[in-house]
Amino acid sequence: MVQYNFKKITVVPPGKDFIDIILSRTQRQTPTVVHKGYAIKRIRQFYMRKVRYTQQNFYEKLSTIIDGFPRLDDIHPFYGDLLHVLYNKDHYKLALGQINTARNIIAKISMDYLRLLKYGDTLYRCKCLKVAALGRMCTVLKRITPSLAYLEQIRQHMARLPSIDPNTRTILICGYPNVGKSSFMNKVTRADVDVQPYAFTTKSLFVGHADYKYLRYQVIDTPGILDRPFEDRNIVEMCSITALAHLRAAVLFFLDISGSCGYTIAQQAALFHSIKSLFMNKPVVIVCNKTDLQPLDGLSEEDMKLVMEMKAEAMKTIPQGGDPNEEGVLLTMSALTDEGVMAVKNAACERLLEQRVDIKMKSKKINECLNRFHVALPKARDNRERPTCIPQAVLEAEAVAAAKEKEKLERDLENENGGAGVYSASIKKHYILANDEWKEDILPEILDGHNVADFLDPDILERCEELEREEGLRLEEEAAQDAFTIDGHDELTEEQHEILGKIRKKKAMLIQEHRMKKSTAESRPIVPRKHDKDRKFTTKRMGRQLSSMGVDPTAAVNRLLSQSRGRKRERSLSRADGDDMEVDGQHSDKKLRTRSWSRFQSRPMEVVVPGEGLRDSAQKKKAIKKSRDSVKKRNKQARRGEADRVIPTLRPKHLFSGKRGIGKTSRR
Amino acid sequence: MPQGDYIELHQKRHGRRLDYADRKRKREAREVHERSKQARKLLGAKGKRFAKKRYAEKAQMKKTLKMHDESATRNKVDDDVQEGAIPPYLLDRDHTIRAKVLSNTIKQKRKEKVGKWDVPLSKVRPVAEEEMFKVVRSGIHKTKQWKRMVTKATFVGPGFTRKPPKYERFIRPSGLRFTKAHVTHPELKCTFSLDLISVKKNPNGSMYTSLGVMTRGTIIEVNVSELGLVTPAGKVVWGKYAQVTNDPENDGCINAVLLV
Repeated sequence: MVQYNFKKITVVPPGKDFIDIILSRTQRQTPTVVHKGYAIKRIRQFYMRKVRYTQQNFYEKLSTIIDGFPRLDDIHPFYGDLLHVLYNKDHYKLALGQINTARNIIAKISMDYLRLLKYGDTLYRCKCLKVAALGRMCTVLKRITPSLAYLEQIRQHMARLPSIDPNTRTILICGYPNVGKSSFMNKVTRADVDVQPYAFTTKSLFVGHADYKYLRYQVIDTPGILDRPFEDRNIVEMCSITALAHLRAAVLFFLDISGSCGYTIAQQAALFHSIKSLFMNKPVVIVCNKTDLQPLDGLSEEDMKLVMEMKAEAMKTIPQGGDPNEEGVLLTMSALTDEGVMAVKNAACERLLEQRVDIKMKSKKINECLNRFHVALPKARDNRERPTCIPQAVLEAEAVAAAKEKEKLERDLENENGGAGVYSASIKKHYILANDEWKEDILPEILDGHNVADFLDPDILERCEELEREEGLRLEEEAAQDAFTIDGHDELTEEQHEILGKIRKKKAMLIQEHRMKKSTAESRPIVPRKHDKDRKFTTKRMGRQLSSMGVDPTAAVNRLLSQSRGRKRERSLSRADGDDMEVDGQHSDKKLRTRSWSRFQSRPMEVVVPGEGLRDSAQKKKAIKKSRDSVKKRNKQARRGEADRVIPTLRPKHLFSGKRGIGKTSRR
Repeated sequence: MPQGDYIELHQKRHGRRLDYADRKRKREAREVHERSKQARKLLGAKGKRFAKKRYAEKAQMKKTLKMHDESATRNKVDDDVQEGAIPPYLLDRDHTIRAKVLSNTIKQKRKEKVGKWDVPLSKVRPVAEEEMFKVVRSGIHKTKQWKRMVTKATFVGPGFTRKPPKYERFIRPSGLRFTKAHVTHPELKCTFSLDLISVKKNPNGSMYTSLGVMTRGTIIEVNVSELGLVTPAGKVVWGKYAQVTNDPENDGCINAVLLV
């Protein structure tokens, strides 16, 4: 099915912009560098390409314009006529025709100049020809500038036309101006049409949608029509006439029986009779509006007669076999009081649906439709009963399940104990505790001036046990110690205690010294070269000094030698000497020692040491983090912080000084 | 108001936003700065186009301003007397100067001796033979170089048939043959696309004239029957001379001025 959406037509640029677009495109998309020294073939080809490319672009652009606009002969006659009424068919066709001619002329110009370019023998001549060719193409386009402007205006207007589907279920509202057509429209749909107390408020077609019996109906509000000869009607009225003439719809003819619109019933009846021919084959409903001002019964006899005549005419519009159906032809309503509005809508929808189904039933295609329907009604094969078969086991299981007592829900409890609002559910009874009796105990919040929650620990019992176990162990140890001291000889005197204190102090000093030493030079006691300029701190000297002090230096010398790398050859020789054992032993010893010296022993921060008062390493980690955060200074004044984006130099000198102007090196 | 005009509808129902006028004024005030920024920024073809447009706008603005100024200030009326004006009491006197007439006739005669027409383009750039002709090599080994191809626009009569290639010394390629010229009538200031009849004279030489080569300054004969010119005797003129004013081979068309 054809979709009538005129929003997709591409924009028609004005003539000047059009030329700019095309020429700049040529400039951008074709090569721009050519030299006199090039082979003439290449120069020719360069310029021919430009001419051809420009022509192609013109062709494409103009073609999209021509193809984008609908052909008035091809689209639905409703739209064809509407566009004719709004924009004048001749003018429209002329404009498109001009564009088509321009397209052809441009193609011809390009052909001519391409032929001439073949004979171009210099760069200058080729260039002149190219300039002439492009110039002539642009001139052609300049001449159709008014047509382009016209088409652009039309495009903008067309895009805003309401999207009316000419083939769907439609309800048309028509009548004299100011009789309440738009008010009804606003009541029935969500179209939100402007309603004003003067004639011709609605100047174009408006579309809304309403539902009836789960089907969607398109409701079209038309401008008011005056009763005058066809030729005298203006564009606004012609819109209504077009819609009436071409849309297969239910027509609601609105009649203002109060006459407050400024036209008498007689005038309105005259209009009805003059446009009667447009109602043929359409269900017509005559709607007497504004009954709040003037009820239908209160009409004078002459007016009543006119109304009845109209009703009779309205019933004739659909050729029906047999008795014409009277109901739903003449209806009353008041858009002000909402009285009868829905009835009007329903009647219109109903009659339209009826008519559409009727037409469908009469058409040739109905067989194709009916073929698709099939209601299966299987006939009984014989008289045997074929009941459903349920296995015995299933039945039994069901019975058992039914017999089983239902679990008591909280809701049942509530119902038993006085219903909602009276019964209060207890959470405590679901507590899982070691002893069921504890469930109802009251848990104090404050005990001895402390918040109990602060001391709450989910696994306090485990911890308690652990502590007890630890205590037990310690007690055992202490007992063992006591036993040792009791039978030992280690009762010290005051004097001895003093000496012991001294020894310990010295030990501690030594350890400290050692640690200090360890922190330098990979813990090797090496005298730096700069302190040993005349090389007097040698092993030999040390040996001599030690022996002079009366100490056997061999052990110390050996140790040093083992630690210094020494020369390769010598070492291999010493190995050849044969004291493998010793070397080996020394080697392993060294290995051990070096490891003990170099490995830095410390414990990670988050390891819990007993006595810190922390539960586990996770908690400690958290505590460390918190303490760090607390030390951090808060940026209370929201000055620049470390998390802010930093541009080191806002205006780097090398970018803002010198003679270079706009543009980059490659784009100049 | 059609259904699609929701912006207008909204404005009608709810009015514009409260600072609309303010914003509009500011936007307009800002426009100058934005345009100057653009003027500084645009490069290349776009910049050129912008500058041209801007220049035209400014010139127009200056003109209008000037016009407004003129209407406000009083100007002195031009009192200059036109040349040759005579007071009304001398109007009907016939006072031709003899000497003048004589010299005129002499001039006329001299002119006729020199050339027949007083042409709009009296001087033309001489065209060398090398520029006019391109050597075409022929023969089985392309060694012979006696053939020439005309590289300018040419006119050949309607009944022209080429000579057999063996004897065809000058080739006039069909791509460069023209049959129409855009002729301007200098008095009417109108241009017509007229049929060529012949090449009367090529200022570069008689050979080119005979070949029908059209360069700048060439006198051509055109069919003016469409113009409906009449001789003093009352006959319809159909052939008239015109001078080519452009380089047809460069422009792809022949522009000429009618000699009247």
